[in-house]
Amino acid sequence: MGKAMGSEPLGKLYNGKKAKRRREWRGFKDTWYDYVHWLGIWGTLIKFMLHPANLKAFFRYRWMVNYLAVPDFFDRHTEGMRGTQLRVARVALELVVRDMCKSMSVMFRADPACGNDRALNEKLVVFDENMMSQIMNGFPNLKWVSVEVPAVYTCAMMAQDGVLYYLDAAQEYGIPNDVCPMPAAELGVALEGDYPKIGRCAVQCNTTCDGSLMGNGIMASRMDIPTFQLAVPIRHGEESVQQYAAEEILNAIDFIERQTGETFDWDAFFATMKRFNQETEQLLEWYDISRTPYPQITGNSLSLYRYAVYMAAGGRVQDFLDTDHRLTKLAMRGYARGELTAKEVRHRAITWGVQSAYYTAFGIWLQNCWGIVTLVDMLTLCSTRMIDTQDKDKAVYDLAYLYEKMIMRSRSNGGYEVGVADLWRFCESFQVDMVIMYAHMGCKSMSGYHGLFEEEARARGIHLVWATHGLMDARGVSRKDMRTEVNRYMRTVLREEPLDPSLEEIDDEMAW
Amino acid sequence: MKDLVHIYELERLLQDTCNDAVRRAKEEGRYAIGSVCGMIPEPLLNLDNCFSVRLRAPKTGSMEMGTYYMTSIMCECARALLERAIEGGYGFLDCIIAPDACAQMNRCVENIDKLRLIEKDGFFVTYSDVPMKSDETALRHYVRQMRQYVLEPLHDRLGIDVSDAALRRALERQNRVNRLVMQIGEYRRENRPRITGYEFAVLCLATFVCPKDYIVPLLEDVLEQLRTREPDAGNPYRARVVMVGSEIDDPELIRLTEEAGALVVADSYCLGSFPERMEIQPNEGEDVLTQICRHYMERGQCPRFMNTAKIEERHEFVDALAREYRADGVIYQQIKFCDYWGYERAYAAKVMREQYGYPVLSVDRPYVVGSSGQLRTRVQAFVESIEIKKLSS
Repeated sequence: MGKAMGSEPLGKLYNGKKAKRRREWRGFKDTWYDYVHWLGIWGTLIKFMLHPANLKAFFRYRWMVNYLAVPDFFDRHTEGMRGTQLRVARVALELVVRDMCKSMSVMFRADPACGNDRALNEKLVVFDENMMSQIMNGFPNLKWVSVEVPAVYTCAMMAQDGVLYYLDAAQEYGIPNDVCPMPAAELGVALEGDYPKIGRCAVQCNTTCDGSLMGNGIMASRMDIPTFQLAVPIRHGEESVQQYAAEEILNAIDFIERQTGETFDWDAFFATMKRFNQETEQLLEWYDISRTPYPQITGNSLSLYRYAVYMAAGGRVQDFLDTDHRLTKLAMRGYARGELTAKEVRHRAITWGVQSAYYTAFGIWLQNCWGIVTLVDMLTLCSTRMIDTQDKDKAVYDLAYLYEKMIMRSRSNGGYEVGVADLWRFCESFQVDMVIMYAHMGCKSMSGYHGLFEEEARARGIHLVWATHGLMDARGVSRKDMRTEVNRYMRTVLREEPLDPSLEEIDDEMAW
Repeated sequence: MKDLVHIYELERLLQDTCNDAVRRAKEEGRYAIGSVCGMIPEPLLNLDNCFSVRLRAPKTGSMEMGTYYMTSIMCECARALLERAIEGGYGFLDCIIAPDACAQMNRCVENIDKLRLIEKDGFFVTYSDVPMKSDETALRHYVRQMRQYVLEPLHDRLGIDVSDAALRRALERQNRVNRLVMQIGEYRRENRPRITGYEFAVLCLATFVCPKDYIVPLLEDVLEQLRTREPDAGNPYRARVVMVGSEIDDPELIRLTEEAGALVVADSYCLGSFPERMEIQPNEGEDVLTQICRHYMERGQCPRFMNTAKIEERHEFVDALAREYRADGVIYQQIKFCDYWGYERAYAAKVMREQYGYPVLSVDRPYVVGSSGQLRTRVQAFVESIEIKKLSS
């Protein structure tokens, strides 16, 4: 118990209940920092709940109860951290929470069942969960909103049983249980009537996978607002599809213009995309640091934050750029001091495949228990191409390219080159010796490469450790099962002993 | 009924991917083009001295190697094809022209490609991006993709004539087959059809897996015979159904359905007759490639078409078939683990039942149906439910 990383056996904190035995002692300075920020999160949540529309929503929507676990989410995602690591995690993830609160406040204010602000509702354009929001940068008078993100995606991260009710609803409807739980849960929410009925119009997309686009089709029939389906090319690595991708972006813009009466504002678009480009530059800085022996912005602090920057904020929110700069400063300081992200960095790893939503803290466990530092993950490794901010024609092509490189689909669609071959290129670039291969049981896109991954990793001398999971459904594969796969590999193949033996077997079956 | 002429020969042709007709064409020096999806227009694969062979894995037993490479959560059809490729079953192919239409079939082809399972000199694989919506923007994209990933490789790698004139000839050959299949299928409208769903499924499937010129004389004989073929006295079937859903590359499923009492009078599944054997209507003012692509895009009923108009069109299409062929019910079936049909089946079953008023059987099934007792029981129960409904009305 102390200020040094790894000074306390963290497994002791798990007691088989929803909450841990107690919060972690990190030495006075870090504990004080963490405690103040923990209070700050409560402050953010209480402030959010003081708004009458939000309070109504809390009692109207079943999924809202998951957000009671937000403080616990932070404890999970800062476990064992000290110094720079702790600050990076807190700074990055707290902004995501604040931004989510703002976005949800807008949603509930417009919601006829809560705030019923009709004028605001006319300004909302509902976007598909996994779809980039950047088209909306050209509509400064309108507001982008995604109803699926707060209802499903983040819920599953807050509580491991957060969306099971909706999964069951989808299966009761007739959706097979072998499809990806994410679109199934999203559909379940629609079937239960648990999305706010908001928006002037909607734009859906063939995001992530075949299941996702199929779920959208059924959801569109229940949204009762004009809906445009944006078809983004599947073979996005090919030059031959770029023209179609660009034409579809223009079709989507045209649809929004016709539905809302607004005109696409190129000046506003360019201004926000400049900010987005600056955010990308910051990301590249972090990658550079991660290529050194002293990576600083890694794991969830990178991935969960970056999803928000890349997909949701999309250059429209100055706070994110400011925070990027702050994170870079922290990272540079940590690097200069030679701070490590774990007590001992035994393995530098990339995570590939989609991570488990019900166990996003898996990466934290990997580093605390086994010294496996996950430098970067598949979902973060999307486009880093700069968007042209002067030439409209080029900008449309760049925007189309960005949409093709949406999180997940940039790897799950597009074939072997982006799904498999790129992994080995990243392994070389980040000098990793291990790949944590998430085997999401409903993800056919990545499962189709199972044998190729095995054989090619072996040929390259890279340790490939499978971590099977059910994305949003922990009933088939629990958090413990995921850890067991790693434990077995580390003990039987690598013959290693854990850094923190108390974490090897923990009881978090009932935890949030 | 008197045996359908050539039925045994057609059944025999379905027993092997590299069947007698394929072997004969290869001996004549023609090129065998492997196909895995209806999104690549068939006439493009039957140009000049090429012929298309839709990949199947008849008599599939174990899929262990396919499962190792693609895991047990993948579509069994994709796994079975990979297994067959590992066994060397597709060594006769000169290329595979594949769209990136469904992720699972794409992974199957990529595994065949990357594992170099077909070692023939000059063998190649192409992947194209095919439309997910039906509109003019998508059509232009479709045409460009077919030109770049089908016509150009065929010309550059195999020296195939891909001129407009060659395309027209291929289109006419295709239409000849399509017309014959549809004419034969018309007899399924009768009160006591003079052709069973199983027989029809056999000859229809044969048109996807044999060179067209080989199959045409057989179809002509069948059509000729049907003009005078007398159906059996009495009606052994208790219900008429439309079979809808994912790929059926083994007519045993249709046989099983009919043995359980449901005559399959119309179909809308991959490798069936609707819409794949509907005549490609030429139009003035468009080049022939665009005409072909337009037909496949506008007529296509694959659930991967994601725009709302197309989704609704799929339900209307099945409704129209059921009305025209006087079906008592609809069977939606899918090969297990198919994401597209997993959603479409659930949704369409609901819509057809609640909005259109049809009794619907909604089932998922393994790739190899064989004599599945479970499936037979489901169909029997469905037939009984239709009978009860008829009685009560």
